[in-house]
Amino acid sequence: MPRLILKSDNRVLKDHVVGAMSTIGRRPDNTIIIDDAAVSGHHACVFRDGDDLVVEDLESTNGTFVNDKRVTRQPLRRGDVIAIGKHTLLVERVSGDAPAGGDAAKGLMSNPGDTIFLDAKKHQALLAMLSDADVFATSGGSPARIGVLRVVGGDTTPSEYRLEAHTSLIGRSDTALVRLHGWLKPKVAVAIARGADGYVATLMGGKTLINSQPLDGRCKLKDGDVLQVNGLTMEFHLSG
Amino acid sequence: MRLRVGARTDSGRVRDMNEDVYIARADQGLFVVCDGMGGAPAGEIASQIAAETIVEHLYAADRDAADRGAEGRAPNGCGVLPQTSRLADAMRRSNEFIYLQAQHDPEQAEMGTTAVGAWIMQRIASVAHVGDSRAYLWYDNHLERLTCDHALGEPQHVLVRALGREPEVAVDVSEVPLKAGDYLLLCSDGLTRMLPDRAVADAIGQLREPQRICDYLIAAANRRGGDDNITVVVVEVMGNWWQRIATSWKRRPGGGHDAAAHPEV
Repeated sequence: MPRLILKSDNRVLKDHVVGAMSTIGRRPDNTIIIDDAAVSGHHACVFRDGDDLVVEDLESTNGTFVNDKRVTRQPLRRGDVIAIGKHTLLVERVSGDAPAGGDAAKGLMSNPGDTIFLDAKKHQALLAMLSDADVFATSGGSPARIGVLRVVGGDTTPSEYRLEAHTSLIGRSDTALVRLHGWLKPKVAVAIARGADGYVATLMGGKTLINSQPLDGRCKLKDGDVLQVNGLTMEFHLSG
Repeated sequence: MRLRVGARTDSGRVRDMNEDVYIARADQGLFVVCDGMGGAPAGEIASQIAAETIVEHLYAADRDAADRGAEGRAPNGCGVLPQTSRLADAMRRSNEFIYLQAQHDPEQAEMGTTAVGAWIMQRIASVAHVGDSRAYLWYDNHLERLTCDHALGEPQHVLVRALGREPEVAVDVSEVPLKAGDYLLLCSDGLTRMLPDRAVADAIGQLREPQRICDYLIAAANRRGGDDNITVVVVEVMGNWWQRIATSWKRRPGGGHDAAAHPEV
């Protein structure tokens, strides 16, 4: 996405992202407001023209300069310096060459405040441009290691259960990964959910101890934890 | 397991119309929030269709939908419960439906919607979402976000995934085993753009009653500007009568430990 950096006496005043159209001037209705008597009310504007980023002087009194040359209309390149009054705007980034990206950025600015949809193609183009974009994770991470429950006491087979599913149940239910046998056993004693940052055990019905402490509600599992669920003793391990 | 539910939607302080839609069916444990886009009237239509078709597809869906390969996948790629697959499948079908509708009618060509849904079955909540409407889990005075927004950040708010915009859509799913005393909250970004998570956590911790929580949060978002439509659905997991007594016994008077929120609704 194109960016302009507004400077005065080599001090950076503002880092401005250019959308479809940015206006520069003294009046408050401009996108970039420069409070300087030498600047006209509506002095210049920067906009996209196809793949180009263009600056145009709006018949200002004191003129718009690009790299010290007075211009009326001028396509910009990265590193160009626009001078308006005592202020300068450094062209930090011009939009990528991908036309889709241009469209995306146009879409961005056409409805300020609105939620806009970016389709997959535009998304890719925009991501390519916004190398440092504030992109929220579009897919969560997974715990690098798989959790394993190893049975160390009680009678059930097999003696090791891999917690691969999002939710693994311990109980009498036939959907349970770790089956408890006997009618007095709870249908689901404990549910173990696999999340982005590890495994969490939630008490669902059975009496459960973790490291000899009663499980009350929810508990994050750590490597080496010992679970006791209705007569079954298991160790939780994270396997590489 | 008993559920106590509150829900409310509000157009906010800036918009004339409300493009948000929610569905709250406590008896079925099914909750959906959709935030439409695409301008009048398309945005309203998109979210309405989405909410309706998700519910419809969920019930009409072949019970073996999960076996046909249209399986839901958690973001970390691990397997999910059949009901979670069905919820994701319902969202994908809803996407197709809206997409086709948009192709037919030029006035609706730009329509799309977010969707976040929770389906509680046998004490496990299946959560699925597309877009930037969110699901949260509150427990022990702690608010945990269950979804990640499919959106790019400031200054503009740009969705990178929505229902109805492309022939196919990827639906993110997760599962949350619930316990008595938990609260599940679904909301549109009109809430989360106005209020920090801390304020949401405090409101739940102090108010406890789902409808009061919804009313308070909407009023609070409006006090902060109400830039967008605001929708909140709150589900309280009640447990058995003895669990309810135990829970209230454990709660200190006043609830939350932090008095940052002042429920004055």
